[in-house]
Amino acid sequence: MSLLEATGISVRFAGIIALDDVELTVEAGERVGLIGPNGAGKTTLFNCLLGVTRADRGQVHFDGREISRLSVHRRARLGLGRTFQRIELFPEMSVREHLWIAERTRLGNGSVIKDLLGRGRPSRPELAVCDEMLALLGLGDVADEPIESMSLGKGRLVEVGRALMTGPRLLLLDEPSSGVDRAETAALAQTLRDVQRERGFAILLVEHDVELVATFTERSYVLDFGHVVVGGPTADVLRDDRVRAAYLGAFDGDSTHTRTGASRPRSAVSPEPAGDSGGESTEDRNRS
Amino acid sequence: MLAVEGFDKFFQALLQGIPVGSVFALIAIGFTLTYKTSGVFNLVFGAQAYVSAATYFELHVRRHWAIWSAVLVAVVVIAPLLGVLLERLVFRHLRGARPAAKLITAVGLMVAIPQLFQIVANFDREPSFGAVGIVPDGRTVYQLFGRYPLTRDELVQFVVAVGAAALLASLFTFTRIGLRMRAVVESPRMAELRGINAERISAVSWALSSLFAGLAGVLLAPRFVTVQPSFFFELVVVAIAAAALGRMVSLPWALIGGLLLGVLNTVLARYVPSRSIIGQNLGPSLPFLALFAVVVFSPSIRRDPGANDPMATVDPPPPGIGSGIGDPRLKLAARLFTGAIAVAIAVWGLGFANDFWLLLLTEAVIYAVIFLSVTVFTGLGGQVSLALASFSAIGAFTTMQFAQRWGTSVIVGAVAGAAIAAVVGALLSVPVLRLGGIWLALATLAFALFFDAVLVKFSWVGGTQLQQAKVPRPLLGPIDFRSDKSFLVLCCVVLTLVGGVVVLVRGGTTGSSLKALRGSEVAAASIGLVPWRSRMIAFSLSSAIAALGGALLAMSQGFVNYDANFKPFVGLFWLVLVITLSSRTVQGAIQAGFAFRVFPQLVLIQWLHLSPTWQFVGFGLAAVSYSRHPEGLLEHGQRRLLARFERSVEPRGRGAPGAGAGADDVASASAAVGLGADREAVS
Repeated sequence: MSLLEATGISVRFAGIIALDDVELTVEAGERVGLIGPNGAGKTTLFNCLLGVTRADRGQVHFDGREISRLSVHRRARLGLGRTFQRIELFPEMSVREHLWIAERTRLGNGSVIKDLLGRGRPSRPELAVCDEMLALLGLGDVADEPIESMSLGKGRLVEVGRALMTGPRLLLLDEPSSGVDRAETAALAQTLRDVQRERGFAILLVEHDVELVATFTERSYVLDFGHVVVGGPTADVLRDDRVRAAYLGAFDGDSTHTRTGASRPRSAVSPEPAGDSGGESTEDRNRS
Repeated sequence: MLAVEGFDKFFQALLQGIPVGSVFALIAIGFTLTYKTSGVFNLVFGAQAYVSAATYFELHVRRHWAIWSAVLVAVVVIAPLLGVLLERLVFRHLRGARPAAKLITAVGLMVAIPQLFQIVANFDREPSFGAVGIVPDGRTVYQLFGRYPLTRDELVQFVVAVGAAALLASLFTFTRIGLRMRAVVESPRMAELRGINAERISAVSWALSSLFAGLAGVLLAPRFVTVQPSFFFELVVVAIAAAALGRMVSLPWALIGGLLLGVLNTVLARYVPSRSIIGQNLGPSLPFLALFAVVVFSPSIRRDPGANDPMATVDPPPPGIGSGIGDPRLKLAARLFTGAIAVAIAVWGLGFANDFWLLLLTEAVIYAVIFLSVTVFTGLGGQVSLALASFSAIGAFTTMQFAQRWGTSVIVGAVAGAAIAAVVGALLSVPVLRLGGIWLALATLAFALFFDAVLVKFSWVGGTQLQQAKVPRPLLGPIDFRSDKSFLVLCCVVLTLVGGVVVLVRGGTTGSSLKALRGSEVAAASIGLVPWRSRMIAFSLSSAIAALGGALLAMSQGFVNYDANFKPFVGLFWLVLVITLSSRTVQGAIQAGFAFRVFPQLVLIQWLHLSPTWQFVGFGLAAVSYSRHPEGLLEHGQRRLLARFERSVEPRGRGAPGAGAGADDVASASAAVGLGADREAVS
């Protein structure tokens, strides 16, 4: 049985079909990509898997367990980690504290009673685990920096570290390349590969950057108008004519072209809202 | 026959509800208007209504102006002027501020404006005359269809309210500015991109909304015994409840919501037995119950106000609050300095102060305990509770009841009060805490007003013996705390203990989880943190602390002085005071305690020879600063001082990284820009 299995996922927003009967699987330890033009329903699907939005129809199984009705934090505890497209860090915490609070939550052994007895502060074993992760991600030298002084690329790494502290079996990455230059993206991909080799979790990558998907993932799905257009080994998927037609346009291997080409229609005036934009933008595209 | 009579009874109640309902509708429309055009939950609304009503009575009843001229000045001149002033001076600058900042500012102004008006216009708190309507002989009764009695005032209310609503409707339909206002209501960002001057629209809607507030104030005044701010304060709840029925977006639905509330009010009054306490108070408390119900049970209104605006995400995210890491030696020095002052005050208090100052000092310490509950819930939890005073009252009443009924020690009573408050807080948090942000604040406000209007009157809470029942000072085994000095020592011990609890919780799992939740709720949930759990603990703990403080206050004064100490309004002022000064530290709570009890006496009365009312005005207006200095004025001042000191110590060095709040602002602003750029980078 697959690690993650989404079957027949359908989501409607006010009568607009954002996702229609979508199937998606991720095997343990695998790297899977999810691409598609803006408004194809990627974010909506992502949110359905994580529990941010509930699907109208369809089921999500994780490790053989039905999780479609569980809340975000329950799913997180079962082993679904994530990062955010628009970075979501805790502004008043240092990098180390980010990891520590995730570790403490994973252990689940904190309580207000312990706090009152003076045993709520970070323990030595917890901090050791955090330091190990910091070293693994190359964040050791900024561990005590306030988060606000961090660059976007470093912030992404902190998010990855925080997600990894929960001991996920599947890490969902929401457009990790957005706002980060190519060198930083490549570095992030390399770090992720290294950590993955060590910890053995699976990755589902939602991405605009076709180059990253091409080099990083083993298998990919292409979404368009709320349907999975193609799914299969990434190299085959990117060569598929339907994909070129629906999404890539004049894909010639140059990733910067495709990135701008894919996102310009909307982002020039209105970047995709963080939440459930799938429906509206599908509508926009239908109109035009 | 019986059926006809029943219908008659119902129809009569329905008919009587309509005039009031139509004024409620006016309020709801006015409220929705500003909410939609400027995103401000205008809690000042009641104060605006009060100012107009009071002006009208001052002019008409006291100075014997003709009705039309008094109405003209109070409603057509003063009310819109106040609205425009509020928009220009305060709320315009809060566009894009966090909802919490807008809320705190509004609460501060809600406290300050009526008091300021009373001082400036020399308007008595309790004028000796009753209120009158805007027609002569308003109490004349007409029999509608021969059998449904309606007073002249009620008829006027209905006619004027319908007229105003019709005027607004035609303004929206037929004028250019109306069309633009509708566009702004739909999506402020989109309207701006289309070249509509949203600021001007916002000013116009504030003027209009304020006009409606003034009109409603003058129309409703005959319902009240006297013209008092607290009556009008409740109008805000009516407004929000009705507007919430209209889901906060639709003006026609707000109108219907208002009518519905008015009608429900009279219909229920007809059918609930009028002798019972519930029967007597259901009417006044209905809006609170309605608000509570709507907020808790209607999931759709809880969405982010920006969620309906497709362009809302264009704005960069609001900057976070910089924590500021300064030189540890300086921090230590600052702590030692504070400690030295505390010791000096203690020595003076116990050794040299006279009874009067001793009492003030004791109360300052007690209020510091109460204010620590704000430190827990707002400072740590990042949420705003407007039911602070009610939880303090729970502690005070429990202590009183224990002492009166069972003759138990007040210490047992105080502990029991804290426990009861903790349980009530936990129970209340089940439906309420899921809401978050502004809705949580509103639900707690509804609870506070419900407590005030209904619960207090039950004999097992306050009852009628309210003012008489004695609350003794405690005896703990051989130790006697009855003398003023020993009681002060006891209060200091309690303060130290509670302060310790706050520090421990802040440093532990609960505090860190709350910090994470405060920073980003979605991210906190993504690592498996249960959002409501830590908040429930914080709310419960904060309620218990407030109750403990309330119990001490009752012991100190010898009885439960509910009207002076625990009215919801007082609780709002506490909140504003603590947040304005500093809700983040234990020190901040202590300073707020002294600012509340000692400062007015020392500075206002003895030094400046002013009325203590200025305290409300001063701190209420100071709340405006919260949007710029969310860490609190005191902490802001301290940080600036530290930063300046650091700079002078290190000549031309790296210049105090992040020590000053100013530097923090820059850092967080650039972080925000960085995140904004992340979105632009794609295009």
